[in-house]
Formats: sequence, C-alpha cells, structure tokens
Amino acid sequence: MDLDDLPGELIMWILIGSEILVFAAGITAMSAMRLTDPAGFADAQAMLDGRMAALNTVVLVTSGLFAARAERAAHAGNRRGARRNLMLATLGGVIFLVAKGLEYAHDLSTEIGIDTHPFFTFYFLLTGFHAAHVIAGVAVLALVAVRVRPEPVQAGAMFWHMVDLIWVLILPPIYLLM
Amino acid sequence: MTDRLTRNWLLLIALILATTGLATQDGGIAAAGLLALAWAKSRAILGGFLHLDRAPEWLSAFLVPLGLWLALVWGLAAVR
Repeated sequence: MDLDDLPGELIMWILIGSEILVFAAGITAMSAMRLTDPAGFADAQAMLDGRMAALNTVVLVTSGLFAARAERAAHAGNRRGARRNLMLATLGGVIFLVAKGLEYAHDLSTEIGIDTHPFFTFYFLLTGFHAAHVIAGVAVLALVAVRVRPEPVQAGAMFWHMVDLIWVLILPPIYLLM
Repeated sequence: MTDRLTRNWLLLIALILATTGLATQDGGIAAAGLLALAWAKSRAILGGFLHLDRAPEWLSAFLVPLGLWLALVWGLAAVR
C-alpha cells in the first residue's frame, strides 16, 4: 500500500478521512445518547419526513455523476464538457440545499427545534454541518468551472464525492434506524 | 451501452431504491440491511467516483473501518 497509489492529491484524502471521522463521531455520540432514552429518540425520529431525504440522496449521487464526468472531460482536454458538467453538478447542490431548506421549514412549522429533544440537537447539528459542506462544495465547483484545469477540477470533484459519501453514511442512523 | 461512471450511478440509484423499500420494515435485520446498503453505497462512491477501484488496498483501508463502525452503529441501535 503506497501513498502514490492514491488518485488525486494526498491532502484531499486527508480531508476526506478527517471529515468521515468527524461525522462518524457525531453519529456514534447520537447512537450512544439514544441508549439513555430509546423511546424518546424513536418518537422524535418518527416526526421526521424521510421522503425529502431520500429525494436528496438521488439528487446528490446524480450530481456526483456530473462531477465525475466533469473530471473525466477536464483530463481529456474537453473544457466545454467539463464546465457543462460542473454546472450541472452545482445545480444538483443547489437543488439539495433548497430541498433541505424546505425540510427544515417543515420541521420548524411542526414545532421541532434544536432543543426540542436531544435527538433533534444531533439532527440539526449533523445535517446542518453537512449542508454547510454542500454550500462549500457548490462554491468550489463553481470556482473551478471558471477556469477549467484538470487538477483543480479533480480536487473539486473529490470534495463533492466526499459530501455525497458522508450523506449516504449519516442518512440511515438519522432518518431510518428506529 | 453505458460507460463506467453511468453504470456506477445506476448501481447507486438501485441501492437507494433498495434502501427506500427496506426503510418501511422494522427490526434488527432490516436495520442491518439498511446499514449494509449504506456500506455498499460508500463502496460505489469510493471505488467508482473517487477511483479507489484502481487502488484496492486503499479501498479496503476505507471500507473495513467503515464496516466496523456501521456494525457498532447497528449494535447501539439494537439495544432496547
């Protein structure tokens, strides 16, 4: 196992590993806290509407496909194709954020707040921190689309896949595991 | 004829659909299935989109700890 075998920049892999650890720590803490009040956590979790989260998973992985295509196009010297796919990936991020905003608005309209129950504290912190990464990812993708070059596009795509990866890992404990 | 990236995306969509179907079920086995599907989606993203399929040892270096962590999450969720 050699560091040179890793595709892309090493710093991006350090970032990906670090972010996975941060979110894993948050999910583990939430799961451990649940042991103090299993029924309360189950009742709180049942108040969430998982349909928007499922839709957002489709949006994010589709956006990830466009980011991967942008990376491939940039490496092939197809700047126009790379830019078009970066814009589509960015659009996916914006759609994700709009859907997340609608989900939060629905939550708040049903009197769910960050201090309603410890479950919702974790819910808002983890999904909110993830949404902050989506905002950063949208900015990064838009930035590398301005002047398409293979290495920055690859770094931007790697960041975007990290956002995607974290979402599929935090989704079941937050929305699905009763 | 679809390319490698599109096939990976189709696999991810299939895993999401399986997750949506399994999410209607209760119980420890369903929970294990949901976490196994999350692991499979992680594998598809790491291997297919982040290109770790070309570096299988590094892919394992990510997937084995992720699998152990998901098993821990399952264990904590199974406690009533």
